[in-house]
This record gives sequence, C-alpha cells and structure tokens, in this order.
Amino acid sequence: MLSRLRYIFRETFDSFRRNATLTMAAIITAAISLLGVGLTLLSQQGFDNLLSKWEGGVEMIIFVNAGASADQLGVIDTALGNAGTFVEEFTYCDAVCSLNEAQIVLAGEPGTLALLDLNNIPTQYKVVPTEGTDVELLRQLEGAFAELPNVFNVQFAEDQISLIGQLQDFFGFRLLLLSIFLLLAAILLIWNTVRTAIFARRREIEVMKLVGATDWFIRVPFMLEGLLHGIIGGVLASGGLWAWNSQWTSGVGEFPEGSGFAALVVTDGYDKQVMLIMLIIGAAAGAIGSGIAASRFLDV
Amino acid sequence: MIRLENVTKSYSADVVALRDAGFDIAKGEFVFLVGPSGSGKSTLLRMLNRQDRPERGAVWVAGRNIVDMPPGRVPHLRRNIGNIFQDYKLLLEKTVFENVAFAQEVIGRPKHVIKQQVPAVLELVGLAGKEDRLPHQLSGGEQQRVSVARAFVNRPLILLADEPTGNLDPATGEGIMRLLDRINKTGTTVVMATHDQRIVNTMRKRVIQLDRGVIVRDQARGVYE
Repeated sequence: MLSRLRYIFRETFDSFRRNATLTMAAIITAAISLLGVGLTLLSQQGFDNLLSKWEGGVEMIIFVNAGASADQLGVIDTALGNAGTFVEEFTYCDAVCSLNEAQIVLAGEPGTLALLDLNNIPTQYKVVPTEGTDVELLRQLEGAFAELPNVFNVQFAEDQISLIGQLQDFFGFRLLLLSIFLLLAAILLIWNTVRTAIFARRREIEVMKLVGATDWFIRVPFMLEGLLHGIIGGVLASGGLWAWNSQWTSGVGEFPEGSGFAALVVTDGYDKQVMLIMLIIGAAAGAIGSGIAASRFLDV
Repeated sequence: MIRLENVTKSYSADVVALRDAGFDIAKGEFVFLVGPSGSGKSTLLRMLNRQDRPERGAVWVAGRNIVDMPPGRVPHLRRNIGNIFQDYKLLLEKTVFENVAFAQEVIGRPKHVIKQQVPAVLELVGLAGKEDRLPHQLSGGEQQRVSVARAFVNRPLILLADEPTGNLDPATGEGIMRLLDRINKTGTTVVMATHDQRIVNTMRKRVIQLDRGVIVRDQARGVYE
C-alpha cells in the first residue's frame, strides 16, 4: 500500500514538473474562475445583508425612539391593530433585536456601530401588509404612523427593495454567468493538461498495461493531478478572496457614514464558508476534467 | 498452458491476420513463430496477452478462455505473461534498476521485495553493476537484456517475445537467445516470433509457421525453411 502511494505521488509530481506551463495555465484559470464564483457569493451575501431588515415580507418599519415607555409603545400597538384591514401582522423588534440587526446592516460603519447600545438604539415595529394592499394605501399608512408620538422614523421598503433587488439580479447573474464560463474553461484546460500528460507518458502507460497494472492504478496519478490543479486553484482563489474582502471591508469603513454600503460588508465568517465552497468546487472541477481525460485517453 | 481454437482475426474485409488458427503449447515449451512480415505472428502474440481479441475462436491461457475475460481480470492475466519487444520499450528517463523495478512497482510489490528481486534478475541477465545506467548509456544488446529482466522479474508463466533479436547483431542476438533458453529451462513457456533463420535453425525448438494468417506448419525440433 505504502509503495503504491509513494508511486502515485511521485508520478503526480513528476507530471506537474514535466507539464509546468500547461499546469500553471490550468491552475490560474481555475483560480480566476473560482474567484469569480466567490465574489458572486460574497456580493449576493452583501445584498442579502442590505435586505435582511426586510425579511419575511416586511414592507414598512416604524422606528421608535429609544426609551419609549410601555404605554407609549401601547399606543403604536393599538394603531397598528386598528389598521387590521391593511396590516396582516406586525412584530416588535426590541433593543436587543435591533442591536443584533445593526451589527449586520452597519458592519461597514464601525464608528456608527460603536455609538449604539441598548439604551440609545431605536426599536422597531416591522409591518407585513395584507395581500393585495396597494402601494398607495401603504404610503397613506406610513404618513399616519409617522405622526404617532415617539415615532422616530418610518421606512418604506418598496423603493429600497426594488433597487437592491435589481442590483442583486444584475450583478449576481452576470458574475455567475462569467464564473460558469471560466469554470468550464478551467475544466477544459485541466482536461487538456491531463490529456497532454497522458500523451507524454504513453510509452510508460503501455508498459504498465503490459506488466499488469490495473486501469485504476494507471488512472489515479492523472486524476490526482487534475484534482490538485483544482484544489491549488481554489487555494489561490481563497487567498484572492481574502485579500479582496479585507480591502473592501477597510475601504467601506472610509466611505461617508450612511452611504448605504455598510451592509455590503460580509460578516460572521461567511467569507470562510465561501472559501470552503471554492475549494470544493475547485476539487470537483479538477476531478471532473481529469477523470474524463483519464478515462477517455488511457487506451494507448 | 496455451491453446488456440479456430482463431480468426481480420482488420478489414481484405486483411485477414489469422484464419482458423489452432494449436496447443504445453507448459515449459519453447516455440518459434515464423513467417514473412504480415503473416500474423505479432497478431497472434497480441491475442495471447489480450491486447487484441479474435472475431471467432477461443484463446486459452493457463486454463482460462481469455477472449471473454472481463476487462478487470486482464491485468491479473498479464502479471503471468512477460513481454519482450524488438524496440525494447524501455523508459528512457529511468535507470536500468528503475526500468526493471517499474514492472514490480506497478503491481504493488513492496519495496523490500523490489530491492531483493531486481538485483537478482539483473545478475541473471548479466547486467550486475549497471543498475544506475540510463538506457542510452547501454548497447542494443544490453538494452534488450534490461527488457528481458523486466519481463522476467515477476516470474511469469509465459514469456512472449516479438522479434527480440531483430535490432541486434548476430553475436548479441545469440546472447539474448541463450538468456531466453535459460529462462525457458526454469519452466517458463516461451513463445517467440522471429525472422531470424540462423537462430531457429540453431536452437531446434518447435516451429509454428504462418503464411497470410494460416498455420502452414507445426513442427517439433523444426528449422526455419
């Protein structure tokens, strides 16, 4: 077993050395395509962050001044209850809930975030309208709720959601399409690299077959080679993504407060998850490309 | 050890490589396949290690009909068959030792076995002390000896040799034949395709003659003709 493993790794790295230029081309293409996939996922997460406060069909948020008493909140509760024809449900997001949300939405504005605490953060009523309630009616409701005591601000989702949604679709679709094309190119390059490696070693393969090596024994170093192309591409792409995300995070911190980009900063280790996904996709692409080539061209 | 039954193989409608070929070869026999170029000698050898399959007929090797052998079993069959070629088929960037060890390595022999068996077989073929040479640093005869060592290192039941002396001068060719004879005396069945009249006539082994895919003569202790 040990001698077989030694053989497999030796042959794999020999092949890397012999096919250095093609190997590098395959790895770089894989890295760029995987970086594209990673950036797509990161940007989608950024847009999701922007939209997080509107999750669950929430169309309107009533921000209430910090420190509003239970009686004052009761007035708002009653007003929302009375608007039952137009309001299907509403939930109150208290100071803890609002602070948690701010951690996401203001991730890119650490200065603002540092100023917020449980005593000064505005709490929120998140309002889900009844189905079929038209925009004009909601705007009238917005105006009515803004007049209530202790209401700090009323935000209406339609404008933000449609703009963010459009941006998300625009960037997401095009980046994903580009990534898929690049990934296909990477698979083809890995396929071609492995095919070239097989061609360069056709004499060895012929001898191996004649002395009784199994097809799998012959295939494995080539498949491992392709797998490594994908994994190394994934590692390089992860490095690129880390660099990009670091630059982006520090860059957004320098944008003017309230510019709206703060939520685009990805938090909670999501970037690490994306790196893992890129490694898995890279390994899969390498395995597919080399697996097809090894099966197709080993009949020498 | 080997039996062919009505084996027919054609490469196209006009080119019939073997036609109803049949014979038996017993364990430990030494058999020459003779005949002009294109008579079907190499095709016959290719049938015996399942590099090729007939359209019709059966090929029995060590008690098994290998024509319908599942592909997964073929490597195990080939571990019992050594192959020697006119052009040696050595791996040019590997040393003598590595070329021979390669045949053991790819079937998963442990390193300590390789270290023990490769020098022994190199000694047998007269290449002791040349383990670290590369093929281009050897003469043609020495390269063929490496090829014989590689074919024999796994102690096969059968040795197939396709014109092993074709690229060698007569004296060197005789050396290779002495080696094959020695291997044959260990009990290994040897089947050798050749054009070399002198060798066939000197060795006086069984001769199977082919002509345009047909066996026209099968003679014990035969000569070339």
